[in-house]
Amino acid sequence: MIDCFAVLGIERRPVVPESVLQLAYHEKSKSLHPDRAEGGDFSSINGAFQIVSNPAARIQHLLKLEFGEAGDRQIGADLGVLFGTVVKVLGRADEELGSISGQSSPLLRAFAFQRWDSIRDALDDAEKQIATKESELHSRIAAVDQIWLHDRRQCQKPLAQIAVDLTFVQKWLAQVRDRKIRLEELL
Amino acid sequence: MSEIVGIDLGTTNSLIGLMDSGFPVLIADKEGSRLTPSVIYFPEKGDPIVGSPAHRMRVLEPEQTVYSVKRLIGRRPGESEKENLPFTVKSIEGRMILEVGSKRLTPEQVSSLVLKKLKADAEQSLGRSIDRAVITVPAYFNDLQRQATKRAGELAGFTVERIINEPTAAALAYGLNRLRDRSKIAVYDLGGGTFDISILEFNEGVFRVLSTNGNTRLGGDDIDREFVRFLEERILGRHPDLRSAVEDRVFLARLREIAHAAKLRLSTEEVVAIEIPFLKGNRSYRSFSYSMTRQELEAIARPIIRRTRSHCIRSLDDAKLDTTNLDEVILVGGATRMPIVRQFVAEVFQRLPNITQDPDEAVAVGATIQAGILSGHVQDIVLLDVTPLSLGVETFGGLMNVLIPRNSTIPCKAGEMFTNAVANQKSMQIRVLQGERELAKDNWELGRFQLAFQPVPKGVARVGVQFEIDADGILHVLARDTQSGVEEKVELSSAVDVSDEAVEKMIAESLDNAFADMSERLWTEMVLKSNELIPAVRSALTMVGDQIGPDENQKILKLVGEVQAALEAHDPQRLKKANAALDDGTQNLATVLIDRAMADAARRKR
Repeated sequence: MIDCFAVLGIERRPVVPESVLQLAYHEKSKSLHPDRAEGGDFSSINGAFQIVSNPAARIQHLLKLEFGEAGDRQIGADLGVLFGTVVKVLGRADEELGSISGQSSPLLRAFAFQRWDSIRDALDDAEKQIATKESELHSRIAAVDQIWLHDRRQCQKPLAQIAVDLTFVQKWLAQVRDRKIRLEELL
Repeated sequence: MSEIVGIDLGTTNSLIGLMDSGFPVLIADKEGSRLTPSVIYFPEKGDPIVGSPAHRMRVLEPEQTVYSVKRLIGRRPGESEKENLPFTVKSIEGRMILEVGSKRLTPEQVSSLVLKKLKADAEQSLGRSIDRAVITVPAYFNDLQRQATKRAGELAGFTVERIINEPTAAALAYGLNRLRDRSKIAVYDLGGGTFDISILEFNEGVFRVLSTNGNTRLGGDDIDREFVRFLEERILGRHPDLRSAVEDRVFLARLREIAHAAKLRLSTEEVVAIEIPFLKGNRSYRSFSYSMTRQELEAIARPIIRRTRSHCIRSLDDAKLDTTNLDEVILVGGATRMPIVRQFVAEVFQRLPNITQDPDEAVAVGATIQAGILSGHVQDIVLLDVTPLSLGVETFGGLMNVLIPRNSTIPCKAGEMFTNAVANQKSMQIRVLQGERELAKDNWELGRFQLAFQPVPKGVARVGVQFEIDADGILHVLARDTQSGVEEKVELSSAVDVSDEAVEKMIAESLDNAFADMSERLWTEMVLKSNELIPAVRSALTMVGDQIGPDENQKILKLVGEVQAALEAHDPQRLKKANAALDDGTQNLATVLIDRAMADAARRKR
């Protein structure tokens, strides 16, 4: 299995400061990009960067490298309620998107726009809730990162839970933002 | 090592440049202009004529003159009907073919004629031959459009060293003198036929594209087309007997030219007098004159420009930035000369845009710098670009499984393992897709291939497929049987049969519709629509009628009257037309209404 941290030449741990990652990536780019005379396998650098720069993917990768598995877990109990909210608001948005995109009359669309206001508010609200959860998870990663230095084994369980939760949180955030933009697009 | 030129192959104009003692320099064509119109005139006899001499023929022989071919390149038949081009586009054996007189050409053949002209003129001017080039494409071009552009370059006799994205090139032009900078910029590129928005990060010589978005069918051409429609309406409003004159192709080409010229002038002037003499009426010649104000043009352009908004929001979102994190918003593309575009960009990005770059030349200058990077003349820049669209394969149930997400830095690769679903299955078909939608059918199909399996029990076969996007943004596929270790390059076959099927289906549906139009169900639907629409129009007029002027009020009421008349007459065809006309006529009213609703919403949030 490829070690993305090693590919980029950075330390293998839960938190990778953006400045450290960027510096490492730029250094590799300067020598391996196909435009450079020397060139090299830049695809692998990009692949590694993509994983390490995405927190959920990074934690999952770390677990696999360190413990041989990412852990098969359910989302945390505290995310259950949020999950319900997200499903509901996405459902409402999709319904409205469906009915509006079939509407050919610009004027009727314009009137529908006034109705969207409440949906947009609901999406905004859901986005805020998810974002709060996301930053909470990031703080938890930072806490685990401190333990990582002296006891990796102890980090396995909490990290596995964070990885699952964060994967979902990132996905929901993207979905909610996507619906917001698609509502705008229909104007 | 031989030299490499940089080429901006534009919808409207094309340019070519070369690094000269460390500076990018654009080369003028034989006619003395750095901007060569991407127009090709095909005379009855003899060789095609390209550039400004061809441009002049556009008005005289519109049917022999091809332009805006970039809108067709790399596209499949059935995708172009909305383009409304005056020359004939046909589908022959699943390929798009332009028919000009007795000649039949593919879009890339036509594009290669423009490239040949640039090459020949530059060679003459330099006194030596050039055969290597960097060619620009809109950032939002998909794999097929990039491949076709590359082919056009090869047909013109170039080795295409790199396909580079236009906004990225513009960023290079802007950044060449700012190599020590650390900043984040957006490039808003609204050209003749395409729109791109890219967000980049400059960091001491590393130029990294964070995200890109766009629409390959949105540009200044669309404003011209609506402007022409506006003028047609004015002409017919005053002289109804001119209908046949107005529908004439030669006249339309002339009107387009007039509208385009007026549009350019209205970027700096408030009012332009439009004069069209010698219009052939039923009995006599007439003339038409009209004072076009900038305000009127902006009313036409606004809904088109507004369509760029969501792309800007998406690109910011993908870059995980908001407008306050940006240091500059650079404008390029001819259409960004319009004051309304500048206002709009200022509104979306909440800052005054940077207009230091020449909107027509920045992309070509950037392509030239990239050529310099490749030939080793420019040393201290690394350019990291991205793929604009997610790449994936169709999975069970018609879904798209993303393998390489949009905005991944290129070159990049992703592997996927495939196995047999039943015992002794000989092969399976893989459909390769590009796009952002969840359902496979809503995305672009780049092509398909058959994966061969050994005859083994269910789930035992293992074939790994590697998808690689190279630095040109072009896809390569490799298949590797993990048991035999045999690796082979996979050729995608185009989805020709599918589009033929789709075309047949479309024809069948339109036939159905021809009969269905008479049906009771459709009539009921149309009546429902009218009953919903008429009160909506009335209340819209009460709410914002004072903001659209008495003429438009009158016009809309007349259209409402026609819908009512059609309802009373129980005439389905007439009602369909009347509804459509009312939809059309209330477009501006709808825009005003939305503006108001947005202002209200903003006020409430504050």
